[in-house]
Amino acid sequence: MSSNTNQRGQNFKQSFGRTAGLLGAILLVVVLFAITSHGLFLKPANLLGLLRYMSSLAIVGFGLTAVLITGEIDLSFGAVYGLSSMLSGVAWIVWGWDLWQSILLALCGAAIVGLFNAFFTTIVKIPSFIATLGASTIVFGVDLLVSKSNTLSPLSPPNGRVIPKSELKFFSELSNHVLPGGFPMQLLWMLLAAFVFWYLLTKSLFGFHLKAIGGNQVAAEFAKIKVRKYKMWAFIICSVAAASAAILDSSYISSMQPDSGAGLLFPTFAAVVIGGASLIGGRGTVSGTLMGCLLLAILANGLALLGSGAFLQQMFVGAVTIGAVVLDQTTRARRKE
Amino acid sequence: MISPNSSDKSGIRLEHLRKEYGDTIALEDLNLVARPGEILGIAGPNGAGKSTMVKILASETNQTSGTITLNGAPWDPREHKKQVAIVHQEPQLFANLTVAENILVGIEKSKYVRPKSSQVDQNLLNEVGLAEYAHRRLGSLPLAIQQRTEIAHALARSADVFLFDEPNSALTEEESSELFEWMHKLAKEGKIVFLVSHRLLELAAHCDRVVVIIDGNVKVEIKKNELTEERISRELMTGVANKRASLTHAGKNTKDLLQVSDWKHVDEAFKPLELSIMQGEILAVIGVEGSGGREIVRSLAGFAPTTGDIAMQESKGSAVTKQVAFVSGDRSSSLFSNLSVGENLYVRLENRIKTKLRTLSQSRARAIAESAKSEFLVRAASIDTPIRSLSGGNQQKVAIASALALKPQMIALEEPTRGVDISSKAEIYKLVREYVSQGNAAVFYCTEVSEVFDSADRAAVVFDGKIKKILDVTKFNDAESLAGAISQATAS
Repeated sequence: MSSNTNQRGQNFKQSFGRTAGLLGAILLVVVLFAITSHGLFLKPANLLGLLRYMSSLAIVGFGLTAVLITGEIDLSFGAVYGLSSMLSGVAWIVWGWDLWQSILLALCGAAIVGLFNAFFTTIVKIPSFIATLGASTIVFGVDLLVSKSNTLSPLSPPNGRVIPKSELKFFSELSNHVLPGGFPMQLLWMLLAAFVFWYLLTKSLFGFHLKAIGGNQVAAEFAKIKVRKYKMWAFIICSVAAASAAILDSSYISSMQPDSGAGLLFPTFAAVVIGGASLIGGRGTVSGTLMGCLLLAILANGLALLGSGAFLQQMFVGAVTIGAVVLDQTTRARRKE
Repeated sequence: MISPNSSDKSGIRLEHLRKEYGDTIALEDLNLVARPGEILGIAGPNGAGKSTMVKILASETNQTSGTITLNGAPWDPREHKKQVAIVHQEPQLFANLTVAENILVGIEKSKYVRPKSSQVDQNLLNEVGLAEYAHRRLGSLPLAIQQRTEIAHALARSADVFLFDEPNSALTEEESSELFEWMHKLAKEGKIVFLVSHRLLELAAHCDRVVVIIDGNVKVEIKKNELTEERISRELMTGVANKRASLTHAGKNTKDLLQVSDWKHVDEAFKPLELSIMQGEILAVIGVEGSGGREIVRSLAGFAPTTGDIAMQESKGSAVTKQVAFVSGDRSSSLFSNLSVGENLYVRLENRIKTKLRTLSQSRARAIAESAKSEFLVRAASIDTPIRSLSGGNQQKVAIASALALKPQMIALEEPTRGVDISSKAEIYKLVREYVSQGNAAVFYCTEVSEVFDSADRAAVVFDGKIKKILDVTKFNDAESLAGAISQATAS
């Protein structure tokens, strides 16, 4: 046993060590890109673009963090992102629903996918890897069906359909509104989401029990913690988070594309894992995920600025993800000793 | 303490073997010799260090200090894995491969090509009676055949040390006696054979010597000519301190707290039974693994599928089982290794630590954890210490304290002091006793008579899915006579 009387301090030091490491890495790449891009990287417009990309990654990432903490996995959020974007678009632009109804439909659709994942994982008891992989494909099919694989834009509705100006404005402002000081609206949404998830995961009893379930599911069941119910909520939260990000992104680009979630899976997992969440469960934080997203956004942005091309970017992001996890594992082992 | 004929160098010799896990001393100063040609029995209560010894010989862990020699030369199990064969209760083979392929694992002729079943020595297969099963998938075969495959696997690697670790607890009588024939055969061929078992009768019947391990030391070695079941039992019982004197027994309070009737396990792990548990008592359900005793205790907490009636005070049915707190005998399924000591202590609570905003009230939770820690004498630097760094006994105290923090009217504990040192044992019994004396009740699932004697008021003896008899433990003056009454009850 550690003879250290101030264990709390030590725990703090451990998590601080990890945070400091991530911050160091972020600083390092910032400096690196600032120099190699001859200052282009540090231009406000560029930084804002970077933060916007990060914000949608982070909102999805928070949801994934909740699922990973319980020891489950969700591979369907990318497809849910696509479906939600299309559902809201089709209902609003093609069917002529009100905007708020369309958004509600998208969020409910996502929640149903979350329920589906939870049902097969906790009641039918198949591995969540398979359940959500299957769900992902089903959802993408539904997405293509609903959208007839068309891209939609509220700016060019189908013939005969007129979208009220006020709705159009509201939808666009969802992400594009600029707050005083040039602060982009979408970033505010991210901060709001970060606060909600921070509260949920670290302050609420819910978050504490999620962590316990991820640490030892059998013990949680014996302790009569409602494992099924908690996991169900984790899956729903993850799907709804993906749907929220999808709607914000569609607002930003003023269009809905059926395959828009396809590229989301890897960067989100990478960011969350770099942020310290464990795929075995029981570990994961909002601040970690936030920093993982920032690091990933910087990398993607910086490499694009350098004109390295998509191929190199792919390879680089993959390598960084593996590197970050290896580094964390070795330092964790050392800290334990 | 054993001074075997020192000129005889043959066999395995464990000298001053010591193993510490953090604060816990699993083996203190273990000395023993196992010679080729004999079956050496190993007996001892749970947590005495038997399994640590097995793990060291199986090179699953290494000793903190001490030496092992084979035929006089220093011997490191890690360098001679192939020389040692371990036959567990659950065979540690590959259920997805055939019997023949399993035998070939580790001795494949080619590094690259998947081995052909025909490479298995046909003589060996015939000898162990596995020829007809050679091409069957191991997982689809009965346990006895799987164990025999394990033996064949070891023979094919020409192992010379055979360690049977509770090998027959899940076998039928017939299969068991076949297994014992195998042990004798192996011994006759000059192999070194260990038999680790809780079944004293079998130890007495089949071993040449039996070594009783208690608290990490060899307490006594019983030679063939004095080897009887009673003798081993006596050594085991007296080895565990009888601290019962400090307990004040119930008897004042005889109001029923919980009753079950026509209570039946859906998969027939136990037959329909009637049982009532009184306020203020600790009821021990004693029975070997597979007797149904474990399932009876679990069913009271709602962790076994049952039919029938259950009532406690005003509640009935699942409302009762929901209120019964349960602690599994296995700490890997009662504690959360990613949480701190304090978090483990309050993890089961909900209303007492919840604020109006559904947040966890740190101040209330920590206060509860602090008081549970001091009440249960949990030796940990602070409640923020990681649970993993505690000794086994202290971890067990946390596991039980977390259930009691719920303030349930009834708790169901499985082997509450398994793998726990003597002083923690006494403390755990005392604390549970205090808890039941406040009008609550506890039911234990036990496999050791000493635990029943030390802790319980009444003992329900379970055999073959039935409660054979309920004994009044307070009427017995020593553990031996209780053991006698229990074995009598199972035989009836």
